[in-house]
Amino acid sequence: MTDNVQTTGKEMGQCLCPVCRKTNPVNVTNCSRCGADNQARDYGSLQKSWALLITAAILLIPANVYPITTLVNQGKVTHDTIFSGIKHLVHSDMLPIAIIVFTASILVPWLKIIGLATYLTAISFSLPVSKRRLMAGFHIIEWIGRWSMLDLFVISLTVALVNMGQLLDAKPAPAATAFALVILLTQLAAKVLDTRLLWDRLDLENDKH
Amino acid sequence: MDLQYASMHHDDIDNSVILCHACDLAVRRRALPSGVRALCPRCHTALYDTPFCSINGMLALCLSAVALFLPANLFPVLELHFLGSVRTATVFQGAMAVMDLGYWVVGIAVLVAAVIGPGLLLLSIMSQILLVKMGLNPGWQRDLYKWLLRRHGLFSQITMLEIYVISFLVSAFQLSDFSDIYFGVGTFSFTMLFLVTLFLQREYNIEHMWSRLND
Repeated sequence: MTDNVQTTGKEMGQCLCPVCRKTNPVNVTNCSRCGADNQARDYGSLQKSWALLITAAILLIPANVYPITTLVNQGKVTHDTIFSGIKHLVHSDMLPIAIIVFTASILVPWLKIIGLATYLTAISFSLPVSKRRLMAGFHIIEWIGRWSMLDLFVISLTVALVNMGQLLDAKPAPAATAFALVILLTQLAAKVLDTRLLWDRLDLENDKH
Repeated sequence: MDLQYASMHHDDIDNSVILCHACDLAVRRRALPSGVRALCPRCHTALYDTPFCSINGMLALCLSAVALFLPANLFPVLELHFLGSVRTATVFQGAMAVMDLGYWVVGIAVLVAAVIGPGLLLLSIMSQILLVKMGLNPGWQRDLYKWLLRRHGLFSQITMLEIYVISFLVSAFQLSDFSDIYFGVGTFSFTMLFLVTLFLQREYNIEHMWSRLND
């Protein structure tokens, strides 16, 4: 493979179609195979990604502060935030379940937002960070991001099953919507970003390993 | 796939050199043993692997997935027995329950990820296979095929069957604290649907599907 000389598609006057991954000449406006817009780099993607990420970061606050479920047990009403729900799980000796829920609803969203912010900052301000490490982090973020949906699935199943009036009743609470939007927006922020920008902007000297 | 790296010329950029979609590095395509993935030497993004993508194999998997789709969505995935009363929930009822309480963002997210996404994905792959079998004639067949391939990334991204399978296990454990929980035909069908779709997605190769338009 290309070992010492690293040629990019841009230098060769070629660019990859983002949709069907066919190589097209840069001067063509639409991909010859699928008709998608042909762009060497999507510079606007950085702004879009920032906007989505900042919105997600703001929504992460209500998602964690407000209760995510309301439980009525024999007339007694309890509100659970994401964190207190996990604490309950730990106290009722369901540690493995607690770890799964903790990963899906606290670790993954926080990691994603911090990770994407680091990534975007590194591109926007050309920070001296190893690009290889950033890219590895980005792949992890892309892959684990969807696992946050777990919490929403669990809520929907619980709500459908547990509805017995004053005796036992589970309902979603305001944080559920905020949490759903955090997942949606962070997924979009990662999706929208043109990662080729990272490799253009940072100098090769930051990448000695 | 073209694996002519021995007899390659520099000007024949289209087939022998591919560009990494993550960092735009030009990489020379080489023959790979099966089960091995080529990674970008600069940023370690997966570039390509040896496709098997047998159309008949995919058709078989696709048909089994379609056959499982209805029972997976019509039968309850969880059953709760509490003080003599029995409550059941299908995937759809779960989504509708949160929607009825005003949490429609959550409801739509659940519905899209567990019902609509997988449905569209299966329908799309099935149509693609049938179009290939019909010969991909110029005209509406090629146009529809292209339209479906362009949307494949979206459809597979909104399909989250694996997460749903884990979620009914988590719910079952959580609820087992105050009641008896049973799995039903729906649970079995849904898990099987997940497994079959998983294998279908492994077999499916988008580049291979695109390359059918070239000849």
